[in-house]
Amino acid sequence: MMSRFAHLKSVAWLAVVSLGVATAGCGPQDASPEAGGESGSTKRFIFLTNGDDPFWDACNAGLQEGGTQADLASKGLTVVMEKNNGTAQGQIEKLRQFGSQPDIAGVAISVIQADNTAIADEMRNLASKGVHVITVDGDVNRDTLRDARPYYIGTDNVVAGQVLGRAASVLLAERGLESGGYVQFAGFTDNDNARARMNGFQEAVGESFEQVDRMSDAMDLSKARDNVRASLVNHPDLVALVGIWAYNAPAIAEVVDERGAREQTTVVTFDAQAAAIEHMANGRIDAMVVQNPFDMGVKSVQLLLAMYEEDQAAIDAMFPNFGEDDGDILTTGLRIIIPEEGSPLESDTFDPSPAERMTLPAFREWLATYGLTSS
Amino acid sequence: MPEPVISMQGITKRFPGVVALDDVSLDVLSGELHAICGENGAGKSTLMKILSGVYQPDAGSMSLSGNPVRFANTRQAEQAGVAIIHQELALVDDLPVLANVFLGRERRNRFGLLDEQSMARETANLLETLECGVSPRMRTGSLRVGDQQLIEIAKALSLDARILVMDEPTSALTESESARLERVIASLLARGTTILYISHKMEEVFRLANRITVLRDGHTVRTLTTDDTSPREITSLMVGREIDDASALPARSPAEPLLEVESLHLPWPGHVRGYRLDNVSLTLRRGEVLGVAGLMGAGRTELLETIFGASDPSWRGRISLHGRSVRFSHPAEACAAGIAMVTEDRKRLGLFPDFDVAANVSLSALDKARRGGLISRRAEEALVAEPIRATGVKTPGPHAAITGLSGGNQQKCIIGRWLLTQPEVLLLDDPTRGIDVGAKAELYALIDRLCRDGLGVILTSSELPELLTLSDRVIVLAEGRLTAEFSRSEASEQRIMEAATAG
Amino acid sequence: MSDNHSSGRRWPAWSSEWTLLIAVVVAVVATAAIDSNHSYLYRPLESLRDIARNTALLGIFALGAAVVIIAGGIDLSLGSMIAFSGMVCGTTMLALAPEEMMAAKPVGSWVVAAGISMSLLAGLAVGTLHAWLVTSIRLPPFIATLATLVGLRSLARALCESTTAALTPSKSAQIYVSDPFFKMLRDNVWISVVVFAVLALATWVLLTRTILGRHVHALGGNEEAARLAGIRTENVKWFAYCFSAMAAALAGIFYVANESVAAPVNQGRGHELNAIAAAVVGGCSLAGGVGTVPGTVLGTVFLRVVIDAVSKVIKTGADVYEGLIVGVVVVIAVTFGQLGQRAGSRQLLPGPLGLAAIPVLAVFCGGTVAMTSGTMAGVGAGIVAVALLGGLRAWESRSAAAG
Repeated sequence: MMSRFAHLKSVAWLAVVSLGVATAGCGPQDASPEAGGESGSTKRFIFLTNGDDPFWDACNAGLQEGGTQADLASKGLTVVMEKNNGTAQGQIEKLRQFGSQPDIAGVAISVIQADNTAIADEMRNLASKGVHVITVDGDVNRDTLRDARPYYIGTDNVVAGQVLGRAASVLLAERGLESGGYVQFAGFTDNDNARARMNGFQEAVGESFEQVDRMSDAMDLSKARDNVRASLVNHPDLVALVGIWAYNAPAIAEVVDERGAREQTTVVTFDAQAAAIEHMANGRIDAMVVQNPFDMGVKSVQLLLAMYEEDQAAIDAMFPNFGEDDGDILTTGLRIIIPEEGSPLESDTFDPSPAERMTLPAFREWLATYGLTSS
Repeated sequence: MPEPVISMQGITKRFPGVVALDDVSLDVLSGELHAICGENGAGKSTLMKILSGVYQPDAGSMSLSGNPVRFANTRQAEQAGVAIIHQELALVDDLPVLANVFLGRERRNRFGLLDEQSMARETANLLETLECGVSPRMRTGSLRVGDQQLIEIAKALSLDARILVMDEPTSALTESESARLERVIASLLARGTTILYISHKMEEVFRLANRITVLRDGHTVRTLTTDDTSPREITSLMVGREIDDASALPARSPAEPLLEVESLHLPWPGHVRGYRLDNVSLTLRRGEVLGVAGLMGAGRTELLETIFGASDPSWRGRISLHGRSVRFSHPAEACAAGIAMVTEDRKRLGLFPDFDVAANVSLSALDKARRGGLISRRAEEALVAEPIRATGVKTPGPHAAITGLSGGNQQKCIIGRWLLTQPEVLLLDDPTRGIDVGAKAELYALIDRLCRDGLGVILTSSELPELLTLSDRVIVLAEGRLTAEFSRSEASEQRIMEAATAG
Repeated sequence: MSDNHSSGRRWPAWSSEWTLLIAVVVAVVATAAIDSNHSYLYRPLESLRDIARNTALLGIFALGAAVVIIAGGIDLSLGSMIAFSGMVCGTTMLALAPEEMMAAKPVGSWVVAAGISMSLLAGLAVGTLHAWLVTSIRLPPFIATLATLVGLRSLARALCESTTAALTPSKSAQIYVSDPFFKMLRDNVWISVVVFAVLALATWVLLTRTILGRHVHALGGNEEAARLAGIRTENVKWFAYCFSAMAAALAGIFYVANESVAAPVNQGRGHELNAIAAAVVGGCSLAGGVGTVPGTVLGTVFLRVVIDAVSKVIKTGADVYEGLIVGVVVVIAVTFGQLGQRAGSRQLLPGPLGLAAIPVLAVFCGGTVAMTSGTMAGVGAGIVAVALLGGLRAWESRSAAAG
């Protein structure tokens, strides 16, 4: 008898929980609480990141700005950012989820593992269902999986790496060094943009400097720090440390400070997290090559909208060379940020192009105009 | 007669299924050492636990020095000056000695923190009076049992207990520790403490006690002054029932020897005595019931477990089955060789509460219920039907939950389980514990039938009349040693009890 | 008494397995209604596919977890075993066919078979290790499998790095697997479902109809009594832990196929808890001796349905809430499952502790609702919670006083 009642209670409680989930779901984030299927309700563009990083906040600001500029609301569209958990499995799952929900108009994804065929498969599945898919910032392997997406928006990471490499060689020459070892740090060493940057850096810094190691931390911040410590211990005569992903910059700067190794190491990094900006202001970072995630966000919305509305003219404007080699790639801007005064990179011996050279204060001003703290 | 310092009148205490104490009265005079004697289950411990507040009586009254008291817990008893030192010491091994002495009554200093200094000082003083050389800060678990016992006494003394109850205090002590304890007791008595002393060691009782009260089956038999009596009289009062008509069952005629145990020695690492069994030998014949008598801790269960291969494998000696020497390292081997054991504590060691009756009975003989590699439900039901019928299990059906059966029926199920393995030797460890009279009679008849069918049975029991009813021969263990062997005609409760309390 | 009869007998109507089935149906229907997209109605096949795939993947090693739990132990290392097995498969294939693997070309069926066999052997080895630690070294199963939880993943990473360093141009933290066999496993959900179904059926027959299965239940129900009944408990434990590890190894193959990569850093991380939750929701008791295969299967289905429901209802950022909701649901399911088993009344909110629990639960509930639906809704939810819980406590104390 007891069990009978208890099981009824159990079912009742489950119903309560479902209702609870319902109230949770009918929150302000759901723009249209109406019932409805494929027609008439709000559709979503989703930006799927590779992980969680302040870099994406800047991108999100761009997404929203792009959305406002394009007046998505009046077209029954919204744009949202979904942050992945830093694993390939997470992206695969999310892509599958998108496939089973009928209100998705387009997906922009920063692919976490370029060579992962499962991710590419899911992207193709989405496309076959009529969802427009592009890659932003992190691309698929361009040699083998390019057909999984029609367009890519993002930094030309090879060029970005080259710019930083040239900057590094100038900085090292300034210290009187003609050779030595350096270590590069990233989240995943086989992520497409990581790989491209590291290869570009290696190419540009020159063969006289030896790349001792490429260390990955799987987006674990404490592991990022431990990697820096390990490299300083294992290779005491390193001359430079290179941070490839945004959070590697503060990790390197802090550990170098902690170990008192600032004199011996040149620190050059990518992206500008708020913490990294502070570190440069305090003299712990020598140069930062900064992407423009804000611009990536804006352009992503433009492209997805153009694809959704089948506005070929707009697409052609963004991809004038489509059909030729790399004509499916839209490169967003690069900047190289240097400390206010006394940097050897200020002089004309260093040619920053195609990146734009900017001093730190100027960069801060630019951020402020968009209400950003990082880029 | 001076006013008794303790007066318990008409105390009755019931536990589920059994009346532990029935209208028991006891008077204890101030400053005396009063011994309480009785068999296992006579009610001694229960009575003392009521006195010290562990239990509350269902009926009856208690008074201390003329003032009626009723203790709802040990704390109240302690406040009234009554402290008990249990047979199983109640100390926390990981704490230092001083913490145990002051457990629950820790001294605090003015900041509200523990005042270890004063507790240590006082503990040291107490230990000195008890001739105990242990430091107050030593970890209690690392001490010898003899010292631990003195810690308990120190605890009682720090409570200013005027009445001390000691339950079998010397069971784990060496000679010198026992002697030291006796000196301590003497000094306590000299200070006017009243001591109640539970023991079955006649020698000790007669050396220390002023008066002796004998309990039997939950009743007070008599209270005697030590000088006026003798060990023989006490033991006779302890057992003095009318001996049941043991001849109700016609005598059996045992055949050839089945199992032989020679000079069995089972070590007991870490214990004072060093062994659980020493130099124990026995012979079991086909068709015979061999009873094993002894008090708790004498080694009866260990003997059975060793034969069954379920005890510490480091035993020495020889066990032979059909003349061939055997050494079982696991009960599965014993089972395969034709030996079965029904354990003492069926709940803990015998039953599977999540299984139904059929699963409990079939467990050791499942291969007989297999059809085509899988267990067939029907074959299983057919398999267990016979032992259920043979043992007389009363159950709603083979798929009833085992937990719904009475204790007696559960026991029958376990016996049934072992019968399915077609053993030659059946070891029964206190099989009728907690079983009502009717079921007991059925079990006796079953055992008799099994023997006539050719099994050999070794049976332990705490109830002497049962042993005498069932056994063809009785061996007696005391403190791990074999102290006597009787044939049916030679055996009597008196003699068995004497042998069980020897040494 | 116990509804979860180990001998596989079904009580009619009100056993906890039927309750679970009803719960699954309720959850699906509720989600279909509440989801503003009504994805279940408009795109049922995709959702069914995804749920089926995830259920099969989880279910394969949830069965392993269940067997160990029924045997009275626990296996915390399942997630790491998945990563390790995937890595063993990957490195075997890389070692046997390095050029093909690196060029993402097919490696041939023999190589694939070798990879899978090595994975299963690895499962056998790990299971044996667990059994040895538990029986001969007398480690508590919690500790033994906790050690492998951390150790295996690390070993897998080391194996990956050293193998890729030796056989490929650069050391790597994962091995990509693109052989068509694995692609076929990934694309055809029904394969994993069939494998799961076959394994479930085999496990069910084993547990309910074989002597070994009966011994597993006996071991979990009362280990000492089992030994004294003549059961070789060490061997039964050996079986249980090997079964569990090999089930996880098999799941590892599917994980690798699903992700097209053997990535020991994060593959399967934390998933052992999902498996244990599925087993427990399905009626396994962590004390041992109790549990069924149908229950575990339903528990797995229920868990995956709830997780999918969360994604459907909370469309964006669902994974933030997923853990919370799954945790709550597991607690509720097990609490009420237990209530049916334990005889006698047990109060949910007794004494000062129960009184203190009321505001804690109310804040928890209200806070969660506030985060999702706004402060006012949160406050309202909190007040409702206090009212409900307070009423429950009052009702309980009244019944206790009367009874």
